[in-house]
Amino acid sequence: MQNTVTLLTVMDEPIVIENLSKYYNHFLALDNLSLKVKQNENIGLLGPNGAGKSTTLKILCALIRSSSGKVFINGQNVAEKPEQALSNIGAIVETPEFYPFLTPEETLKYLGRLRGMQAGTLKNRILEVINLVGLEKWITVKIEKFSRGMKQRLALAQTLLHDPPILILDEPGLGLDPRGVVEFREILEDAGKDKTVFFASHQLTEVTQICNQVAVIDHGKLMAYSSIAELEKQYNSLENAYLELTGGVS
Amino acid sequence: MIEFEKLRVVIGYEFLKHIRRRRLYVILALTLFTEVAVLILLPALQGGYPDDVMAMAAILTVGPALAAIGAVFFSGDAIAGEFESKTGYILFTNPVKRTTLVIGKYISSTAAVILLITFGYSIVAISLLSIYGSIPIETLESYGMALLYGGSVISITFFFSALSKGGMGATVITLVFLMVISPIVDTVLMLTDTPHWFMLSTAGDSIATVYGGYELFIEGFVPLEHIDRLPFELENPDARLTSLAMAIYLVIGFVFSIIFGNRRQLV
Repeated sequence: MQNTVTLLTVMDEPIVIENLSKYYNHFLALDNLSLKVKQNENIGLLGPNGAGKSTTLKILCALIRSSSGKVFINGQNVAEKPEQALSNIGAIVETPEFYPFLTPEETLKYLGRLRGMQAGTLKNRILEVINLVGLEKWITVKIEKFSRGMKQRLALAQTLLHDPPILILDEPGLGLDPRGVVEFREILEDAGKDKTVFFASHQLTEVTQICNQVAVIDHGKLMAYSSIAELEKQYNSLENAYLELTGGVS
Repeated sequence: MIEFEKLRVVIGYEFLKHIRRRRLYVILALTLFTEVAVLILLPALQGGYPDDVMAMAAILTVGPALAAIGAVFFSGDAIAGEFESKTGYILFTNPVKRTTLVIGKYISSTAAVILLITFGYSIVAISLLSIYGSIPIETLESYGMALLYGGSVISITFFFSALSKGGMGATVITLVFLMVISPIVDTVLMLTDTPHWFMLSTAGDSIATVYGGYELFIEGFVPLEHIDRLPFELENPDARLTSLAMAIYLVIGFVFSIIFGNRRQLV
């Protein structure tokens, strides 16, 4: 009976993290972390360097294995069925790189075909997302000529290409100029209306503009998981909440 | 979408990678240069080509053999490169099995090696036809051996690529294994009269020795009557045994590269 209830909960929520721990040799990066993200919720994952944000996202994207605990994406256990789980997400993890010998068009075509998108749909969709991230003039230029910011734009384009219900983003604004940051935020705000967004960042302003909930982690432990409004009410501001919860204010 | 279709997609784009990278053309140029050097230097230094077409065919295998070894340069980063250059952060977040990716990369590397070796043998065939007016049937056997050798070189490179931190490390380790460790062990085994058919350097030699053994190959350069005696007994490799050895390297290297490639984490 308890198993059935657990399964129903897991199937209900797009992202479920259960008692997740991760050791890198003897270093404990994640300490029994549990978190559930509801449908269409935009969650900011906050925490200082080394808090375990990237580790959490990497486990969600099946890039690394957990030491213990489970993660589910749309009810699929990521460790057991990574392909099924990954078919539901679009992800930017760390500062991704692309094959320098391909153009954005070829890269997106490759990734779209790996995701089983049909040729006609894919062609139109590539143009849509390329326009969305502002790379239309660079669509046939080899990526070896791209700056960090342009690659980050392409990274966002590939997350949206297959219109996934869940976006997992690790510092997606990294390397962007101020205009790029604003454009990125607008794209994510728009995309976040009908998607679940799990978003790791150091930028509190960015998080408040995109997310309605935040999870604060420190030393691999969940310190708080609440709405931004609730945290602001409790600690006067999100900044105070962050500093206090991560040990920055005595 | 079934995994087989994804495999086709991976093969296509990985082959495109080889086509667009300079190193494929560098190896093609080196193969051509080696063959042209043999064709020019041999008559220039010893007054003509060997009388026996088989001896000349054996000498000309240096080009395709070089092409097979060249496989190391575009397979070294096949797996390690995804981790080292962070392209794995994009590729591995797609719903495709790592096994499919490794197999796709392996097949595309093999296709590139087939292209290189075939190019080398085309030069051999054209040269022999031009000089002797015939091509020995053993050339086909040598071609098959070279393909098998190329496949085993790719497998070993993939194996080291799955274990190494970077593509350069995998390339260097494989070259040291192929060009230093294997020949040294091979020579020690040969000098101590111990079977050495399982060494990859012996297997590589069989690309040339199928034409008539080491003696014929040496005679192509220096007539044997000019040599008092060789420092050790030259035992010609058994083509069946060396083929078996190469097949074993090919399968084991390939299987372990899949196992280690699957286990590897993008930390």
